[in-house]
Amino acid sequence: MRRVEQHKWDCKFFMFGNWNEWYLAQGYGGNATSFVQVRQQRQWQPPQRGWLKCNVDADFHNGETITSRGLCIRYDTGQLIYARGFSSLLLCNLVAKRLEKFRPTIFTQMSMLAIKHEAISLGQGCPNFDGPEFVKEAAIQAIRDGKNQYPRGYGVPDLNVAIAERFKKDTGLIVDPDNEVTVTTGCTEAIAATVLGLINPGDEVILFAPFYDSYNATLSMAGANIKSITLCPPDFAVPIEELKSNISKNTRAILINTPHNPTGKIFTREELNTIASLCIENDVLVFTDEVYDKLAFDMEHISIASLPGMFERTVTMNSLGKSFSLTGWKVGWAIAPPHLTWGLRLAHTFINFSTANPLQCGAVAALRAPDSYFVELKKDYIAKRAILVEGLKSVGFKVFPSNGTFFVLADHTPFGMENDVVFCKYLTKEIGVAAIPSSVFYFNPEEGKNLVRFAFCKDEETIKAAIERMKKKLKK
Amino acid sequence: MRVYNTTCCTHSLFRFMPSSKLLGYSNSNNFHSVISPSFSKTKTKTPKFSSFISATMSTVSTDKNQTHTHPLQVAKRLEKFKTTIFTQMSMLAIKHGAINLGQGFPNFDGPDFVKEAAIQAIRDGNNQYARGYGVPDLNIAIAERFKKDTGLVVDPEKEITVTSGCTEAIAATVLGLINPGDEVIVFAPFYDSYEATLSMSGANVKGITLRPPDFALPIQELKSTISKNTRAILLNTPHNPTGKMFTREELNTIASLCIENDVLVFSDEVYDKLAFDMEHISIASLPGMFERTVTMNSLGKTFSLTGWKIGWAIAPPHLTWGVRQAHAFLTFATSNPMQWAAAVALRAPDSYYTELKRDYIEKRAILVEGLKAVGFKVFPSTGTYFVVVDHTPFGHENDVAFCEYLVKEVGVVAIPTSVFYLNPEDGKNLVRFTFCKDEGTLRAAVERMKEKLRK
Repeated sequence: MRRVEQHKWDCKFFMFGNWNEWYLAQGYGGNATSFVQVRQQRQWQPPQRGWLKCNVDADFHNGETITSRGLCIRYDTGQLIYARGFSSLLLCNLVAKRLEKFRPTIFTQMSMLAIKHEAISLGQGCPNFDGPEFVKEAAIQAIRDGKNQYPRGYGVPDLNVAIAERFKKDTGLIVDPDNEVTVTTGCTEAIAATVLGLINPGDEVILFAPFYDSYNATLSMAGANIKSITLCPPDFAVPIEELKSNISKNTRAILINTPHNPTGKIFTREELNTIASLCIENDVLVFTDEVYDKLAFDMEHISIASLPGMFERTVTMNSLGKSFSLTGWKVGWAIAPPHLTWGLRLAHTFINFSTANPLQCGAVAALRAPDSYFVELKKDYIAKRAILVEGLKSVGFKVFPSNGTFFVLADHTPFGMENDVVFCKYLTKEIGVAAIPSSVFYFNPEEGKNLVRFAFCKDEETIKAAIERMKKKLKK
Repeated sequence: MRVYNTTCCTHSLFRFMPSSKLLGYSNSNNFHSVISPSFSKTKTKTPKFSSFISATMSTVSTDKNQTHTHPLQVAKRLEKFKTTIFTQMSMLAIKHGAINLGQGFPNFDGPDFVKEAAIQAIRDGNNQYARGYGVPDLNIAIAERFKKDTGLVVDPEKEITVTSGCTEAIAATVLGLINPGDEVIVFAPFYDSYEATLSMSGANVKGITLRPPDFALPIQELKSTISKNTRAILLNTPHNPTGKMFTREELNTIASLCIENDVLVFSDEVYDKLAFDMEHISIASLPGMFERTVTMNSLGKTFSLTGWKIGWAIAPPHLTWGVRQAHAFLTFATSNPMQWAAAVALRAPDSYYTELKRDYIEKRAILVEGLKAVGFKVFPSTGTYFVVVDHTPFGHENDVAFCEYLVKEVGVVAIPTSVFYLNPEDGKNLVRFTFCKDEGTLRAAVERMKEKLRK
C-alpha cells in the first residue's frame, strides 16, 4: 500500500488490486491510462478509461491493512461514483479530525478475533451469565405496563430516587434526585456527557494511564489538552510527586476510575485525600468513574465525592451493568452538584435525550436489592478471581494483585513474545483464549507492552477451561 | 470557581428560557416564567418577569457544607442552549393537569408482538453488551426494510449502525463527520437537537427558513447559500414540526446542488411511515446520492415505543466509519434486548403500516377540524404526527406567551415553535400540536379549547 498525498479537491493515488476487478489509477491531470471498475447506483459498470479526479478531504490512513472499505472518486465528468477497493487498499474514510486517530475499539477487534478462532473470551468485560431474575422481571413488568414512551430526559423519577438512596447508603451523602442525578445510556454516555458538557477546547485534563479507552477519545472530542500520569506495576500506586508537578491552577479536571480498569487497583484513602487536597487547592474538578464499586474485594471502595470539600467539584459516575450482570442494558448515571449537573445534562439531552424507559424501571428494582445480593456478588467474584489468578500463576504469568473490578493484569513476557498485541493474537489463534492487550489503554503504548488483561466475569467452568487450554499449550 | 456562563442573578428560581437568542426580542413582556424550573427547590408559583431573564439555581440545602450558590458550568459549545423545550412543556402539563399535545410521544402503547419480543429477549438472556454497531439480526432487518422502502441494497455489516435513538444517530453523524468551521445548512424550523449538536461540533450553521403556508423549499435561497464550501445539509422529511414532506422535485433540486458542490446530506427520516398525503422519498435513493447520504431513522415513532431509544444510520462505508467512531465513544452500544425486539418489529407485515397510517389520518382529521373550529389558522400537514397553526387570531404577542396561556388557562399543551428557528422571530406566530394521542384525548383537548379559548 502506498502513501497518498492529501489535497482537498484533487488527489494522486495509487492502489493495488486484482487488476481484473479493480483499478490501477494514476494521478490526476496526467495521462489517463486507468482502468476502472466502479459501482454506480449499486449496479456494476464495465471498466472505463478516463482520468480520475479524486475528491476527498480526509486524512489518509497510511500503511495499514483495512479490508472492504470504499473510496469516493469522481470522474472528470463530474459525477460522484463509489468505487470499492480490494483488501489491503488504502482507504479514505471521511472522519472528523477530532476522531481521526482512533480505530475500531480494541474490544470490538478482539471479540471478533475470538469468535473467528472459537477462543474462550476472557477479553471484553461482560459476563457470560445472566443478570438476576428479579431485575429482569421488573423490566418485563414495565414493558407490560406500557412504560414504553419517552421518560423524563434526566431519568425516570423513581430511578433518580433509587440512585440517591443507594448513594446515601454507600457514601453517606444526601443528594437531590431531581437536581443532582442524571440517568444516561450507560456509564460511557455519562463520561461523554460530562466531558462534552463541561470541558472546553484547550482545557487541561489529567488522566491516569492505563485508562478505559473512551476517556481518551471523549477528551479528544472535546479538544482537551490531556496530561497522562502512568500507574506502574507492581502496585499501580498513584505517583504523588508526579501528580503534584502536573496539577496546577491551569488544570480543569482530573479523571479517576476506582476500582480501576484494567489494573484492579482501588484508590486508597490516602491517595484520594492527596488528590482531594490538590484539587481543592488548585480548583480542579474531579470526574470519577465508579462502575466497579460493588466489586471491591480486598478493601473498601471510597467515593472521592464524600471527602470534605469534594462534593461540590465532583461528578460521580456509575452504572447498572457491572453490578447486576446486565451490561447490555446500558443504564448509567452521573451524580453531581447542580452547577455541574447543568452542563452534563445539556450534553446528554443532545447526545441521547433519554435512556430506555422499561430498563430504567428494571434498574429501580436492582438498586433496591437487599444487602445479601451484594454480599453474594462479591463472594462469587472472589471465588472466580481465585481460580483465574491461581491458574494464571501456574501457567507461568506474573500476576499483579487485583483488589477490585473483574479484571486482572498479567505480565506475559515469560512467554517470549515481543509485545502485548502479538501475545494476545497468538493466545487467541494458537491457544484459543482471548485477552485484551493493555497497550491500548496507554498514551504511550510502550508502557503497556508487557501487560495483558484477563477478565473473570465468566462462570467457573469457563475460567477453568481457559486455564486448562493455557496450561496445555502455552509454553515459555 | 471557573464560570462558563456569565450571568448569575439572585433570584432563587430557574426560569425557562427557550434559548439566549430570544433575548434579542425588543418587546419587554415576552419572557414570562412559563415553566416549572427543573432546578427549582420551591413549590410556589413562579412570578412573572418583564425583563431580562438569566439562569441561576437555587441554594442546595444538603449535608455537604454547601451553603453558597455556584454559578452554573457548561462548556462553550453548549452555553447558548437551555433545557429542552419538550421537557419543560411536559413538566408544565403535569403541573397544570393539562392535556399534553406538546411533546411527540403517543399516549397509547406499542404493539404487543414487539413488546413480547423484547420480553422474550430479556428472558433468553440477551442482556450483555451488544455488538457496538448493532445486533447482527437487527442490522439485517434494517437492510431488508430499507430495500423494501427504497429499492437500495445496503450491506448490514458495513453500512448500518444502530444507535440509541435517532437523536444519537444525529449526534454520532455530526460529531463523527463535521469539523469545526465546516459549513452546514439546516432548514428552519428544525428539531432542536440539530442546532445544539452542530454547535457541539463547531460547525458554521446556515439556516434556510421554510415559510407558511406550504413551507416549500426556497430554491433560489438554497442556490445562493450552497457552495463548494458547504460540507453538509441536514434534511428532515417528513418534517417536524411543519408536517411538510419534501417533494420529488425539491429533493431532485437538493440532490443536484449537492452533487455539483460535493455536499453530504444527513437525512432524518424518523416519520417516514407517517407519510399520509404523498409518498415518502429517501434522498439516498436518487441518482448519485447514496454515496453522500447518511439516512437516519428509528423505531419509536413507527411503533409507538418512543421510550425504547432504538435508532440507526445507513450510509456508505466511508461515511459509516466516522459515524461509528463517534458512536463508539458516545454510548458504545445500544440496549441489547430492545434491539432484538426491533428486528421483529421491522419485519412487521404491510398491514401493520397500513393500519398505522389509517389510524393517524383519522386522528389528524379530528385535530385539524377541531383546531379550525376553534379559530386557528391551520397549515396543511402531509406527514408526521404534528400540525403547525397560526395562533395570532387569539391576540397574544408571541408563541411562548400563547402557549403559556394555553397551558394555564385552557389546560392544553402545545409547543411554541420559535425554539425551532435560528431567528425566533420567524416562529412567533406558530405553535405546534401533536395528534399522537388517542381519539378521546384529542377530542377532549379540542373541547377545552372551544370552551375557553377566545379570540
